[in-house]
Amino acid sequence: MSTDNHPELVRYRSEREWFKLLHSQVKDSDVPEHQLAERTLTFCLDMYNRIIACVEEGDPFVATYYCSAPELCTAMDLPWYMVMQTPFLASSVPYLLDDIDSAEAMGLGSDLCTAIRLSIYYIEANLSPIPSCIVGLLYPCDGAPMLHQVIQHNSKWRDIPMFNADPPYWDDDRSLDYFAAELRKMAQFLEQHTGRKLDMDKLKEAIEESNKQFALWQEYNELRRAVPSPHGWDLGGSQCFSVTQCYRAGQKGGTDWFRKLIEIAEHKVANKIGAVEKERIRLFWFDLLPFGWIFDLLPWLEQEWGAVMVMDMFGNYPYTLIDTSSEEQMWRDLAKRNLFDAPMIRQARGVADNFVNDIARIVKDYKIDVVIWPGHMGHKDGSATIGIMRETCRKLKVPFMSLGLDLFDRRYATPDQLKEKMSEFFRAMGLG
Amino acid sequence: MTGTSFQTFTEAAQGLVNPALQSWKAGGGKVVGYFCSAVPEEILVAADLLSYRMRATGSESTEESDAYFSNINCSFPRHCFNLALIGKFEFLDGVICLNSCDHVRRLYDNWKRYVPTEFVEIMSLPRKTGPDQVAWYREELALLKEKIEKHFGAEITDDRLKGAIRLLNETRSLQRELYELRKRENPPLTGAQALVVMVAGTAMPKEPYNALLRELLDELRQAEGNGGYRARLMVVGGILDDPAWVQVVEDQGGLVVTDATCFGTRTMWKQVDESIGDPLDALARYYVADRPSCPRMYGEQERRSELVRELYSEFDCDGIIGERLMFCDQWLVEHYMLDHDLKEESIPFLKLERDYVTSGTGQLRTRVQAFLEKMGK
Repeated sequence: MSTDNHPELVRYRSEREWFKLLHSQVKDSDVPEHQLAERTLTFCLDMYNRIIACVEEGDPFVATYYCSAPELCTAMDLPWYMVMQTPFLASSVPYLLDDIDSAEAMGLGSDLCTAIRLSIYYIEANLSPIPSCIVGLLYPCDGAPMLHQVIQHNSKWRDIPMFNADPPYWDDDRSLDYFAAELRKMAQFLEQHTGRKLDMDKLKEAIEESNKQFALWQEYNELRRAVPSPHGWDLGGSQCFSVTQCYRAGQKGGTDWFRKLIEIAEHKVANKIGAVEKERIRLFWFDLLPFGWIFDLLPWLEQEWGAVMVMDMFGNYPYTLIDTSSEEQMWRDLAKRNLFDAPMIRQARGVADNFVNDIARIVKDYKIDVVIWPGHMGHKDGSATIGIMRETCRKLKVPFMSLGLDLFDRRYATPDQLKEKMSEFFRAMGLG
Repeated sequence: MTGTSFQTFTEAAQGLVNPALQSWKAGGGKVVGYFCSAVPEEILVAADLLSYRMRATGSESTEESDAYFSNINCSFPRHCFNLALIGKFEFLDGVICLNSCDHVRRLYDNWKRYVPTEFVEIMSLPRKTGPDQVAWYREELALLKEKIEKHFGAEITDDRLKGAIRLLNETRSLQRELYELRKRENPPLTGAQALVVMVAGTAMPKEPYNALLRELLDELRQAEGNGGYRARLMVVGGILDDPAWVQVVEDQGGLVVTDATCFGTRTMWKQVDESIGDPLDALARYYVADRPSCPRMYGEQERRSELVRELYSEFDCDGIIGERLMFCDQWLVEHYMLDHDLKEESIPFLKLERDYVTSGTGQLRTRVQAFLEKMGK
């Protein structure tokens, strides 16, 4: 079927082509990290192919927000894609800046989080695959419920059934019970609107597989504690997150991917091979990576300053292993993983204590020399926490730096401006 | 307006403290500030506390709070926190926050750590409006009630809660009467004056406020009213507590006759249902599901948009102004959707961004003038 019959696939197909290009660049490499990247990109292309096939064949598929218990989709054999996919997974595409401009021209302003702005733009411009149903989450930020309300408002999407889980603000038993009930309703909703049944044995199987993935992720993070750290910004949290959330949640292929990751990292740690030849600064990047212009800044950090991103916000997943001994416990622990553990939901959803606790733990566990709050223009709750983070770091006697940037738009604060700012700071702190 | 009631309201709205509040404190009364109109004032009133809606009237700087908030944060919490840091909120015996938005919810974390107010709490308001969310918020209200009883030594019985609900429903009812008068062809008060009355209602004990409002209504019913305006306007937005901003709009010839804002109809267009036996049930239902919602409540955009159009029609408006504090994601997207809805009905709509503190009004004047001219007014 031609694209003309499915204009909503225009961007999706372009993204697939982009990932095919990236895949072709690593597929014959002998470098172990590239071989792993080849697997990640194969997962990614598989997802694109499945969603495109679903649209073309009229098969059910789901649009989700992130951290919406993807094991449910695996258990129900439902293809899914993340409604914020382009900013999160495909923001290296060459047309991203044009799309940001188009979003602004549409009336979405310039101070709304660019990830939300782009996602709204793709919905409004009919550039997102229209699913059988949508499951989402009304956190971690004000943008999330607004994005979902635009979906409800859009003439092409308003008749698509949608369920959004409502996460409470607290981290206590009452909140877990409430959120577990929300997830049960989400499962019922998926059954109702996709015609698929949730077999609890299959859910248990998917969760036990994802438990293995999270346990392996934890093991991998243990390896990142090594000095020098085996990997920096280019391999770690982002890929682990995408495998467990977007590509292979609760699926054996994902578990094998983690085994390969550990194998690579173990070899490097055993041979004291670091991410850079001489590791001089170990940094904690407390946010997403600047996906829209990642190659303009992060390689420079390593080359110029020997600064290795030992941990980032999305690598920091506290790995609740789900107890599958009873249905009730399984739902409760699934709620816990998605509410208390999931990066960004974990920090930004509730009170600021998780910012403080995460900094304290990571600085200690990973021998961090400097904490960087990138200050993405959309992360307003975090930016209202900078005083608290600064004080936390002062107590830990580790330098804290707040940058101020747009993770997707290099024009907001240019890479050169950021490099200058970081260099000045490192020099002033006697780092590197 | 010649009576003393409006003068009293003006005193209450133009500063942080006012004679009625001072008198309350002098008599040993306690004052508890609250952020967001979804905090149930009734529980505070039932505990014999003066409920005080937080604002940063008179703030001139964010110099102190800039170390805690960044330049992508809304100016409202930054000004509030600045005033807190320099001791301007020392008259408060407690502060209650809500997870209302990304900016204001962090006021709780900062206030708790850096301002020596004894009682600082935050409540978890759901983002959906179904029965499960009403039940959740009822539990939140029960927890708040317990904390207030313990800290302030108050006993909040069901009878006291029901009394507070009646009292605040009376306030809402009187305020709606005030708005009824604004439907006249020549409304007896301007939009800026109406906002003064509404703001005053959040900073004074309710009984004297209601008594003064009755007096004012008596006076206004006899008043001739304001004619000669170029257009009847409605304002749609969030925390607009500054009559001076409305005055700038009205100085251009528009008369603001109604609103959908957090100091306006959002707080009083509906009543708490007094027929529900359990007062906490009644309050939870009101604050989560029944009252006009703000954009943070998912699934309610259609209802919000309908209410805007109903009010527009009821008050015979010529155009709508959407006001938004810079960096507010919620209102930006809400106005974006509302713009689409209003275009379908050819309702003129002007979107304005603003800082919390009104300054540099030149651009505002120009935009409003252009809007009025575009409407052919």
